[in-house]
Amino acid sequence: MKIDIHTHTKKCKSGDAPTRVITPADFCETIQSTEVGIVAITNHNVFDLDQFTEIKEKMGDDTQVWPGIELDVQENGVRGHLIVIVSPTMAEAFSGIVYDITKESTPDNFTTAIGQVLEKFDDFKPLYIAHYKQKTPNLSDEVLDKLMSGTANSGRVIKEVTNSISAGIYISHGHASIYGSDVHDWSTYEEQARDLPDLRLPVESFEHFCLLLEKDPTTINTILDKKVAEDLILTPFEDAIPLKLKVFNDINVVFGPKGTGKSCILKAIAKHYCDTGIDAMVYESASDRLDELFDTRGRDLSLNLNSHGINYCKDEIEVLREASEGGITSLTKYENYFRIKSTNKSAKKIKLKDIEPEEEGGAKRKFGEFNDGVKKTTDFLKFLEEHPSVKRELSKEEIVEVTRILSGLLERMSNREWEGYSGWKEICLLNSAIDKFRTEVERKTGAPAKPTTTGFREYALNRVRIEVDAAEIIKNVDTKIQVLKETVGSLGSNKGELELWTEFKFQNGTITDGSLNKLKAVNKGQQKTFVKTVREILKHAYKDNLFQHIANLNAIEDVEKIETVYELLLFKRYFALDGSPYSPSSGESSMVMLQKELETDKEVYILDEPERSLGNEYINDVIVPLIKERARAGKKVFLSTHDANIAVRTLPYSSVYRRHGPDGYATYIGNPFSNNLVNPNDEDDWLDWKKVSMRTLEGGEDAFGERGKIYGNG
Amino acid sequence: MESEEKSMETVKATVVELDEKHFIKIETGGEEINIPISEDKPNEVKSAFNKLITRIKEGAFEIRLEDIGQDLFSQVANEYVTQLNREIQEVRGEMKDYGLVED
Repeated sequence: MKIDIHTHTKKCKSGDAPTRVITPADFCETIQSTEVGIVAITNHNVFDLDQFTEIKEKMGDDTQVWPGIELDVQENGVRGHLIVIVSPTMAEAFSGIVYDITKESTPDNFTTAIGQVLEKFDDFKPLYIAHYKQKTPNLSDEVLDKLMSGTANSGRVIKEVTNSISAGIYISHGHASIYGSDVHDWSTYEEQARDLPDLRLPVESFEHFCLLLEKDPTTINTILDKKVAEDLILTPFEDAIPLKLKVFNDINVVFGPKGTGKSCILKAIAKHYCDTGIDAMVYESASDRLDELFDTRGRDLSLNLNSHGINYCKDEIEVLREASEGGITSLTKYENYFRIKSTNKSAKKIKLKDIEPEEEGGAKRKFGEFNDGVKKTTDFLKFLEEHPSVKRELSKEEIVEVTRILSGLLERMSNREWEGYSGWKEICLLNSAIDKFRTEVERKTGAPAKPTTTGFREYALNRVRIEVDAAEIIKNVDTKIQVLKETVGSLGSNKGELELWTEFKFQNGTITDGSLNKLKAVNKGQQKTFVKTVREILKHAYKDNLFQHIANLNAIEDVEKIETVYELLLFKRYFALDGSPYSPSSGESSMVMLQKELETDKEVYILDEPERSLGNEYINDVIVPLIKERARAGKKVFLSTHDANIAVRTLPYSSVYRRHGPDGYATYIGNPFSNNLVNPNDEDDWLDWKKVSMRTLEGGEDAFGERGKIYGNG
Repeated sequence: MESEEKSMETVKATVVELDEKHFIKIETGGEEINIPISEDKPNEVKSAFNKLITRIKEGAFEIRLEDIGQDLFSQVANEYVTQLNREIQEVRGEMKDYGLVED
């Protein structure tokens, strides 16, 4: 949730841009289209109670609207701006006071003084937000001192600066600072709102915000107590002294100089969760493991060919390997039949033997067509009857109608099926009888029977099957498989997404690319010979030397290992950036490995110095948002770090600080909200969280400089 | 089926004698096909069959034996061609199912 303590809805002064004017409806719509959850209306020297009330009503409960005013304060002849914001519960009284002090003036010529401000507003216990330094027209330090010494609530005086960097710098120097949008043009507000400060802790009301601002321990503890937490009792060190930690379903940081046992604490946390059956292990950056992690050598690589519409061709390969030439009828049989005429009278009476056999294939195909039609129609009728989608899409009457038509079709096709079957079997019976009678007459009379077939049919169909199977194998190995692309992770906004590409290719008999690896344990040379030979078989399906090629196929060494086209697969796996192969550096490898760790769905993340080998920009742009996202999802994130970018920007609910001093090792536990780190063994021994962070963490100054974006500790 | 019958091409065949050996000579318009009928030469018959299968792919046809005499080899050829025609139609039907024929 973001907060904007400085907005305008009206053109009050002649110098105000007209684009500052916004209707209550548009104001609500604009604010609600952003992440802003708290907004203060602070027009120049004007407070419009009616407008405030209308906005508040329209906004509903999701966004808090606070009443305020931006006053022209004149002290010692110098003018500066001071925002005064009060509780919404006091809006009406606040409006009365504003009217009272401004009624004699116009917004352009109105000025007030610190004395009057305190006299008129201090009883409201307001937030005073003064323009400071570069935020002009500003109030000088002397004027602010006057305000601070005069108010009963000095903890509620904040300096408004121009941006997050300035706010951070002032915060790091002990000044409570904030910044608002000071919107000039509502049409650009959505974009501007992205840079507004985040509220790390949930703020329920104006009063609640003020208490947090004053670091009221009860308020902070109440918030922390509402957060899901658990107490861990660990023994991370050799001295076996137990360490009690309250950890949150949020970000928990262990920090401190090198060699103070941070990793031991993480390991003890991992052990604790593992012992309770929760998957937890300490993530340590190791860039050389990237290839292993993504299996670039393809050790566990596999591919389901069916999902790419590819036939494994197991049967086809088997048929080719077992193919043999079919026999044909000897011509001598015909010659003998006509040369030796039967003189047996009884044999002459048997006319059946002289009938010409009939063609079976046509009748068989006709039966097959209706047989298939009957099966498919039956299945479809079953689908109509059972599938819920049909009942949803068709009315009862429509279901009855479509069922009636299909049932009629089924009946007719069933009749045809039986006709086809009996016709086919009739021919089979006749041909079989002719053959039998011819053989028997030949056996009894010694006169040769007339051959029933030249052998052409069987001979031809054998070769047809070989052609069909060889063509199927070639069709499948000629199929192009789309490159499989998997996102590995971001290499930062300037470089883009690193991907893992897996190229699969079938050895088609011509591939010589040495960078392609075999997927199965079949030699690449044998794969190549196999496919080339199948191409030859296909080419010579109706040539006299076909079976020489079949023999060549069976002569390939280890040919029995090629059971399917899967054994003919080659692959190449590599990282790619912008569509080209790319070798990530060790730093980049660390980046994507950490991303992968954080993107894996777990209950507990334990990261040991995740910043190792990573640049600040990447930590800020990618890693910190990922860590925060995991925390928002209610996961426990533990991390040890030397990096202020992580420790400060994430504002951990729990911080464990380890140090080695004159008395040996010591542990301090705290959080940035209360801004202290307390030694659990001695409550009087405490440290300033902010100071320790700035001193201990690398990049502490810069991180605090940026940290104004997160309004959790001022 | 009806249209195929209408367009069915007729291929001429004759019984020829060469060096006292008899053949069925089939003139498909392309390569000449010879089937030896006076001696058993299975490889030559198979070679002829291979050419016939290739011809089947190009379109439906029927072999018509011409100048059929009463001699033994004319009778053999006549019977052989009759059976061959039946089997050619069966094979063509199967090839059609596999999508291997051109029309």
